[in-house]
This record gives sequence, structure tokens and C-alpha cells, in this order.
Amino acid sequence: MSDEMTIQSYLEQGGKLSSPENAPARYRGELMRLMASFVDSELAGSAGFADCINNGPGIAERIAASRIVLEKLDHGERVLKIMGDFGADTVRYASHHPWTQRMARDADIGASRQGDDMRLNVFHYPIEGWTDAVTMNVLMGTAVTIQLEELAGISYQPLAEQFRAILPRERRHAELGIEGLRKLWAEETGRPAVKASLAYWTPRVAASFGRAGSKRFDALKRFGLRSRTNDALLSEWRGKTDEVLAELGIAA
Amino acid sequence: MARFFPLNVTDVRRETRDAVVVTLAPREEDKDRFGYMQGQYLTFRRDFDGEELRRSYSICAGLDEDMLRVGIKHIDGGCFSGWANAELKAGDVLEAMPPMGSFHAPLDAEAKKTYLAFAGGSGITPVLSIIKTVLAREQHSDITLVYGNRSVASIMFREELEDLKNTHLGRFNIIHVLENEAQEIDLFSGRIDQKKCRLLFDGWIDIGAVDMAFICGPEPMMLAIAAVLREHGLRDDQIKFELFASAPRPNRAQRAPAKTAGTDEGAADNNKICQATITLDGTTKTIEMPSSGQSVLQAALAADIDAPHACTAGVCSTCRALVLEGEVEMQTNHALDDYEVDRGYVLTCQCYPLSDRVVVDYDQ
Repeated sequence: MSDEMTIQSYLEQGGKLSSPENAPARYRGELMRLMASFVDSELAGSAGFADCINNGPGIAERIAASRIVLEKLDHGERVLKIMGDFGADTVRYASHHPWTQRMARDADIGASRQGDDMRLNVFHYPIEGWTDAVTMNVLMGTAVTIQLEELAGISYQPLAEQFRAILPRERRHAELGIEGLRKLWAEETGRPAVKASLAYWTPRVAASFGRAGSKRFDALKRFGLRSRTNDALLSEWRGKTDEVLAELGIAA
Repeated sequence: MARFFPLNVTDVRRETRDAVVVTLAPREEDKDRFGYMQGQYLTFRRDFDGEELRRSYSICAGLDEDMLRVGIKHIDGGCFSGWANAELKAGDVLEAMPPMGSFHAPLDAEAKKTYLAFAGGSGITPVLSIIKTVLAREQHSDITLVYGNRSVASIMFREELEDLKNTHLGRFNIIHVLENEAQEIDLFSGRIDQKKCRLLFDGWIDIGAVDMAFICGPEPMMLAIAAVLREHGLRDDQIKFELFASAPRPNRAQRAPAKTAGTDEGAADNNKICQATITLDGTTKTIEMPSSGQSVLQAALAADIDAPHACTAGVCSTCRALVLEGEVEMQTNHALDDYEVDRGYVLTCQCYPLSDRVVVDYDQ
């Protein structure tokens, strides 16, 4: 065994990196892209949800919504700080984009990013009312949990540690959504709106898992930045969502 | 962006034939910035024949020692480490960024934990900081160090470790593994590889009791240890890695620095075409792009080159690349240090060609 080993082969064998200095150029680029996507999604998600707080029917719901808004901002800030270790200007970054901006409700953007904004596609759509917010939060919360479980093992150790710390809180956000949805579904009159929101958000959240057979996946896997394919994550999400809805008594 | 502060060198002590231990003191007004966590590192910069070099070295002091101290081992061909070993002396001033790194676990005075640490060669520096801190701050915890070196003469902090062992009998154990020296027990000769780890966990270390493991050393050693730790049921969040921050990398030739905004020369002619050669993931593509109105990043994306990018506002540095030939103008830069710009790095989202031909590489 020799002491000589390339960083690439170290990463392919499951090695972890611990500082920006260790990161090769292409690894750095892909890691930054991944972090920017997370930060933009948290900032945009939080901004979109903030508008819904006052729609909460009771104080408990408004507290839950406020907590989600607060913690998503905190999660964005934690990961942005790691981008800062790589040189990003974190103060400018946090305000370089109007995070509240949304597209038309019926815009069709598929899985694609829009312009200079790396947020996941789903955060481009506007939320309409409390039921819509709760439903979106259940579907996307379940998706985020699965995506974070995937990212909790990535090869950049400081980021993996943050994702592991963030995961239980994001999981809790999804649970808060499920409790909210349970209440909404309990009212017979609220059911059509729940069904309409499920129909609206399901394909859009599904698209947030990215394209099947993504070209970039193999490169990310070699860098230890991904392990399971988009398809595998998506099918796990479909299974989990079906379980959640069945448990709530909502026919899929 | 990175900021450097002066540190006074108060002592340089020779630790082994090829390693020195450097004690540093920040200015009074910078003291708070240089508070550190056990296991963190300092990044230094220094000019060598007109080229700025940056190197990181781990802090080897414990939290309660109230001083900044790093170990610097001379690496073959290493410019900074060679200079530090040969010429650095008390009274000099070094420039450093505040401490960074996450090679540590939270401390809890009441905790009763079992830690296992592996160090290879100068990988001992952050591990020593962790050992001292844990022994001082967690009175009920214990820690075992497996320490690999070529020979007895190359063991850094040998005496200090022995003293710690004697002061904290029963709480701190050391297993030395020496590559070039036969020892009474075969297990303690050779390299720390998977086989040796399995043997150690068989009879010498109660791996089932370990709460947290720290590993710092060369890559193959870290991979071997981590694999066997996982085999024995440790989760990812129980294994902390620290790769040598300052592994020497191939020297890069000096590049012509990218021009920054505000220069009039070469003012863009709207109809001019530039030939841009762009490398990404080992594939090189040559495209034609207008000399104005389109950034290098936009041109690359338009040509189906999947170049990394995020903010496109010159803020995040995701789109960083190296200009190998030609001249470009960078309109905005909030993310790259002068140090990187001097080497030819640019933010491609902010970059417009000034010459008829540019060669840009995302792989370096």
C-alpha cells in the first residue's frame, strides 16, 4: 500500500473531504451547485410559506407555519455558510435574488431551473391559500426528507454534518403538514380543495427529483455526492406518499 | 472573502528531524478572531519569488492551553514547509486566516465517552489537540490513539504524548505502529491497513464501546480504517475524517491575470467574434462567441456544455474556471480573492473576452 492516491480515487472509494483546500476544481463546482440548489430552495420555500402564516385557521397552525419559515431560513443560512468557506459572498448571496418571486400557477417548467435561480422547480409555483400550503408541504416535505437522507452521506464532511442536523427538523416539518392535512380532511367540505391541491402539486413535486437517467449522476456518484438515482428516490417518494395518504384515508 | 491577520511567531521548536512546532500570538485586537475549536487549522499565506502560496496547518494545542500552536512537517519539495523548517524564527510575523475546520465533536463535561483516534505521521497535529482537550474537558471520557509512523525518530510529539499518558493513566492509551521497525509484537510493525485494524479490534481495542472515531492521515490509511470501522457497526456520524489540508499539489504556471472591469483598452467591438476553447470533465470544445453581450458561461451553456453555475451574479463562485490563454474582462467579482485572480481564475458568469481567442478550463 502506498501513500500516493489521487483525490478522485479516494472519493470513489468512499473517502471524505474536510476542507475547501482538498476539493478538486470539478468537485468544487458540483458541490457548489448542489449547495446553491439547497440554499435557493430553502430561501424561496421559506419566502413562499411566509405569506401563508396568516392564512392558518388557528394559532397552533400559525405557530407551525412560522416555525417552518424560521427553520428553513436557518437551514439555508447554515449551508450558505459552507458556500462562504469556498469564497461565496454570503451577504450578497442572501439578497441577490427576489426569493418571493413566483411564476404563474399554470406555468409549465417541468424539472428545469429558471435563469439564475437554482431553486428546485417546485418552488417557482405560487401557493394559493391554507389548504394548498398544507398539501404542498406534505408532498414536498416527504420529498425533502428523502432527498436529505440521500445527501446526509455525501463526501464533503462539513456539509454532510449539516444535512444530518437538518434532516430531523425537515422531517418534523413534513409531520406538521401531515397533522394539518388530517384536520383539513376531517371536514367534509374541505375535501375537494385537498384533492385539487394534491392533483396540482403531485406531478410538480415528482418533477423536483430531476430527470430519469440524468447524465450528471455518474459524475456526481464518482465524487461521492450522490449514491441513489433520481428514479430510485422518486419511486421511494411515491411509495411513502401513498402510505401517508392511505393512512389519512385519502384515496390516491 | 478571506481575510488575513498578522500573527507574531513567539517560538519555533524543532520537534523531529523534519518537523517544527510554531507558537503564534495574535495582536490584542485580533484575539477573539483566533479563538479556536480543538482540531481546527490555520491557513497561512506567504510570497515566494512573487507567487503567493497558501498552506494550512492544524493547531496542535488543546483548548485550555491558551495559545496558538501548529506543527509543520517538511514535505519533499514543499516550498512553505521547507521554509518554515529552515528559516522561520521567533520574532517573525506570519499572516493567517482565522481558524477553520470541523474536525471535532461537541464537548460535554459530564459525558462518559470512549473515543478512538488514528493518526498517520503529521496527521497527529489536530488529533493531539483533540486528545488534550478531551482529557481536560471531559474528565469521565477515555481516548485511545493508534499512531502510525515510519520509525521512532519520526514520531512527532512523542514525549508530550507519553507525559499525557502518565498524567491520565487509564484514560489515555497509545498504540504505536511503526512501519520500518520490527517490534516485539508483530501487530505493531508495518502500516495501518484493514488487516491490522481488524486485529486491533479483535484483541486490543473494544470497538463496541467506541462512541466516536477520529482519523487523520494519508488517504489510503483513512479509507482502510473507515472501512473496518463501518464493518464493526460505526455509523458515518461517528467517524470524523481530516484529510491533510496541505498535500502538495502540482505547481501551476503563472497566468496572465484577467483584466478587471474599468479598463478601456480592447473595448469590445459589437460584431467581433471570439474563438473560445472550453474544457469540462476532460472534454474540450471550441466554440465561436460574440466578444460582447454574452458571458463565457452563457456561451458554454448555449453550446450544451454543462458548466457549473448558480447565482450568475459574481457572488457564489460556482462557475469558477481557469483562463489558460487569452484575455478576458471580469465585470463583477465578489467571490474570488486576488490570489486566485492572479493565478488566472475567473468567474465565467462575469467574464467577457477581450482577445480573439480564449482558452478556459473548468477542470483545474
